[in-house]
Amino acid sequence: MKNLVRELRSERGWSQAVLADQLEVSRQTIIAIETGRYDPSLPLAFAIARIFDRPIEAIFLDEG
Amino acid sequence: MKTSTHEYKNVRKYYNEMGAAFLLYALVLVISICVGRPMKPGSGQTLLLISPMAPFLLIILAIFRHFQRVDEFVRLQILENIAIAAGVTAGWTFTYGFLENAGFPRLSMFTVWPVMGAVWGVIAIVRCAAGR
Repeated sequence: MKNLVRELRSERGWSQAVLADQLEVSRQTIIAIETGRYDPSLPLAFAIARIFDRPIEAIFLDEG
Repeated sequence: MKTSTHEYKNVRKYYNEMGAAFLLYALVLVISICVGRPMKPGSGQTLLLISPMAPFLLIILAIFRHFQRVDEFVRLQILENIAIAAGVTAGWTFTYGFLENAGFPRLSMFTVWPVMGAVWGVIAIVRCAAGR
């Protein structure tokens, strides 16, 4: 699944560590999500959507 | 690699708990060897020689608590690493079992954990480096 996490984070000038702290996850997890190696669970996806103030479907794009 | 504060706190808690549990384990191990080995064989000696396994439970508890604290991706990574390490170790023990039939020296069960621990460590390092 593609996502716009890296773009949205960069727009805000946040480092991966800053975003990781806001989501209470490791930086490794942010890297895995941004590179598309890991699709987050629904609760984590909702937390990401809340932080960026966007609906989930505007951040995570279904490629199917 | 700069870690997040959340991650740093988790790791620090884990090291503190693991360090304390390991120190206690080492202390009980030394006492059990020094006092237990010269004792006459019997249930008292057996209990004393096996006593390091009581603080060992604290080591397991520290690992379990760390596992509960880490996030979903790290938890998945840890589980996958353990599964791969268990598979490699199973392959190694079976292979060596056949080699023992071919005349290779018999190895103690104590060799299984160091092998699995080493494989686990190597896999964790390689996957962590690959994920950066």
